[in-house]
Amino acid sequence: MSNVKEILLNPIFNNNPIGLQILGICSALAVTTQMSVAAVMCIALTVVCAFSNFFISLIRARIPSSIRIIVQMTIIASLVIVVDQILGAVAYDISKQLTVFVGLIITNCIVMGRAEAFAMQNPPGLSFLDGLGNGLGYSAVLMSVAAIREFFGSGSLFGIQVMPLVTEGGWYTPMGLMLLAPSAFFIIGLLIWALRVWKKEQVEAPEYEIGQHTALSHS
Amino acid sequence: MSLRSLMDGLEPHFHQGGKYERFYAIYEMVDTIFYTPGKVTVGQSHVRDAVDMKRVMTTVWWCAFFPMVVGMYMVGRNANLAMEALDIAALEGWRGWIIALIAGYDPNSIWDCLIYGAVFYVPIYAVTFVVGGIWEVLFAVKRGHEVNEGFFVTSILFSLTLPATIPLWQVALGISFGVVIGKEIFGGTGKNFLNPALTGRAFLYFAYPAQISGDAVWTAVDGYSGATALGIAAADGLGGVLATGLTWGDAFLGNMQGSVGEVSTLAIFVGGAILLITRVASWRIMGGVLLGMIATSLLFNAIGSSTNPMFALPWHWHLVLGGFAFGMVYMATDPVSAAMTDTGRWAYGALIGVMCVLIRVVNPAFPEGMMLAILFANLFAPLFDWSVVRANVRRRLARV
Amino acid sequence: MSDSPGFNKDSIQNVIVIALVVCLFCAIVVAGSAVALKERRIENKALDKSKNVLIAAGLFEEGVTRVDDINTLFARFEPRVVDLRTKQLLTAAEVEAVEQELEISFADYDQRKAAKDPALSSALSDLEDIASINRREHFSLIYLLRSDAGIDRIVLPVHGYGLWSTLYGFLALEADGNTVSGITFYEHTETAGLGGEVDNPAWKAKWPGKQIYAGSGDVAMRVIKGAVDPSSAEAIHQVDGLSGATLTSKGVENLIAYWLGEEGYGPLLGSLSG
Repeated sequence: MSNVKEILLNPIFNNNPIGLQILGICSALAVTTQMSVAAVMCIALTVVCAFSNFFISLIRARIPSSIRIIVQMTIIASLVIVVDQILGAVAYDISKQLTVFVGLIITNCIVMGRAEAFAMQNPPGLSFLDGLGNGLGYSAVLMSVAAIREFFGSGSLFGIQVMPLVTEGGWYTPMGLMLLAPSAFFIIGLLIWALRVWKKEQVEAPEYEIGQHTALSHS
Repeated sequence: MSLRSLMDGLEPHFHQGGKYERFYAIYEMVDTIFYTPGKVTVGQSHVRDAVDMKRVMTTVWWCAFFPMVVGMYMVGRNANLAMEALDIAALEGWRGWIIALIAGYDPNSIWDCLIYGAVFYVPIYAVTFVVGGIWEVLFAVKRGHEVNEGFFVTSILFSLTLPATIPLWQVALGISFGVVIGKEIFGGTGKNFLNPALTGRAFLYFAYPAQISGDAVWTAVDGYSGATALGIAAADGLGGVLATGLTWGDAFLGNMQGSVGEVSTLAIFVGGAILLITRVASWRIMGGVLLGMIATSLLFNAIGSSTNPMFALPWHWHLVLGGFAFGMVYMATDPVSAAMTDTGRWAYGALIGVMCVLIRVVNPAFPEGMMLAILFANLFAPLFDWSVVRANVRRRLARV
Repeated sequence: MSDSPGFNKDSIQNVIVIALVVCLFCAIVVAGSAVALKERRIENKALDKSKNVLIAAGLFEEGVTRVDDINTLFARFEPRVVDLRTKQLLTAAEVEAVEQELEISFADYDQRKAAKDPALSSALSDLEDIASINRREHFSLIYLLRSDAGIDRIVLPVHGYGLWSTLYGFLALEADGNTVSGITFYEHTETAGLGGEVDNPAWKAKWPGKQIYAGSGDVAMRVIKGAVDPSSAEAIHQVDGLSGATLTSKGVENLIAYWLGEEGYGPLLGSLSG
């Protein structure tokens, strides 16, 4: 069943929700200073995305089109609240650092987008995989950003000190910019650049062509 | 064989279909260093002028030498005075070795101070030039455009905005960020909307605030710590600055702590005068910056504040402290990132002046506002131009 | 699950049915999880607080993550309610009276919420408000570590405004109510690398042993610009400022001046150690 594989893996590189569709950027900026925090966020989003797709697809034939967005929102919001409660119970420290961002999964465009674009037309099994795949695509970008930010910003990975800091007698001066939200913009931008160098078909057609360089057109 | 015929002999290899086609940019760069390009504009040509991009950029480059030389001297003088006070006989390491070879540590000797400053500044410039140059050539070769003289200006201006004590690896990171993110991402010189030199400095400012925010250790001597005059003003007001013994005259001449190129307002004005006379820089932008700054600081003087001493700082102090003068003369006037219409230039300049004082006075975190003000105004420059052009179109349409 | 003929999913009945069913189902799931997990969440919150108290008192060891260990360590502390209006510790009877009157419970007292509640706090005038906190709660929970000899440590919750945000933390004092035994800030959003260094262990390590009060009884603790000169007579009251973070340093100094001054815990400390 290559179709299943495609639905699951396509969103990771070929149709990445962040890299190609530029969705769900806000949380990618906010929760990526530490890998452990980002990892929990990824799990939360993937779970919500997969299950909301599943449940919405389950009742898709009965959802009236006039209130479909509200129904989707209700299901997504309930899942998010449950996930938030579970995090508070089992991973309190991390949920404290994630603050409002778990709650904001409700408004994450990826979850809503997949519900509307995929789950409303496809059977529950495939929808679940699609949610899972998009969650993984989001996770792939988030974890790369978090790895770069934590490595250069704090000299550590998953909280384990890789490069000893100057303030603790080591040699590495942490790059403060990496701990500020704008750095995630730069990193995501550079990742998208790299992705498009690798997968040329993702490059959009230019809106207009700039004329040839005069010096090169003439000898 | 003359150099010209040597170059001509090599040229075909770099042309389309030649062996080294990919490296045309490098050939072109070397060729135009030695010779004025033999190319002429074909087709519908517009302006005839002896001034080309290379001439413009080289003028700015030469004008930046005034603040550079004075800045180096001041770095050396401050350091030598500090060493005298701390009773340190000589610098350690390779810097000390060079000084021992050709100069001494006398704060009253112009030569000694200049050399002292040079052993700190020249490596900064060299690193800027080499690292930034590598990126520049890399993109030129890859993208098939020429290596642009704009980089000469970017590199010298970037290096002049740094404190002498900055670690060299940070210099390398800063210029890399400036060239790649500030310029090449958008397609190279002429297509960037931010000033690349300032983008690089802003990167350092936020990445390594401890070394560059002007709080401590700007004198090139170990164990000596001094805040920039602007940093002192932000904390204790003008009274605090005067208490350190700094007079307005000193600040104008540049006899204080600060980034190499930014300390001497006098030298900056000498360079600025040449830029204005040769009409390389826009007098409207400079005028706008100056007027905006004076108006805003007068406004703050009039409002007054019991808790914030910066409110009372008069405009002529704003002029000589921090990077204001340098930014006004060299950074704001960057033709690529500034506004291009005459009215737009006034507005763009004024925005810089207003924002600079606003950030300096009201923002509690950053003592210096010039860098951020210029970058901020860079973003607005296209909008100013657009509005001016629109207004023009409307006015003329009304006449139809 | 294809549409069966005759079924109209856009009919009024179906809209109402679906809306009701979905809402009911979601409400049950959400309520169920909230009830089932409530205890764990409250426990975690309390644990987090205990941990911060222990850190401030210098009794927390890195790597102690087991809940029981933290609770055992924390059990040695005795939480007490201070009425900041009278600067008195409340007795058990008084605590009960207050709890009944204001319908609160100090077992799950949220001091930060209380500081915003008009019934539980009072506004500060500009002159009083050195720490820029706008309102101060009436009641504060402090923690006393007792040993056989009497009080061993006093842990006080403190907060105050830095550069960008309010810093929340605990300050621990020795039995004399004057010597600092530790400080910690568990929540702030100061600039990373500059003001953010308030939670750097290296900086916090400069605090123990410093004395808050000068001989005159005034708060003499200062966070100075630059490094402390150890030979200075004032060195015992001084801590190095955070490099490049004048306003955060000032904020820390101010919050200590406020909370340990006459308007804060100052009079109480006098009576505790006296």
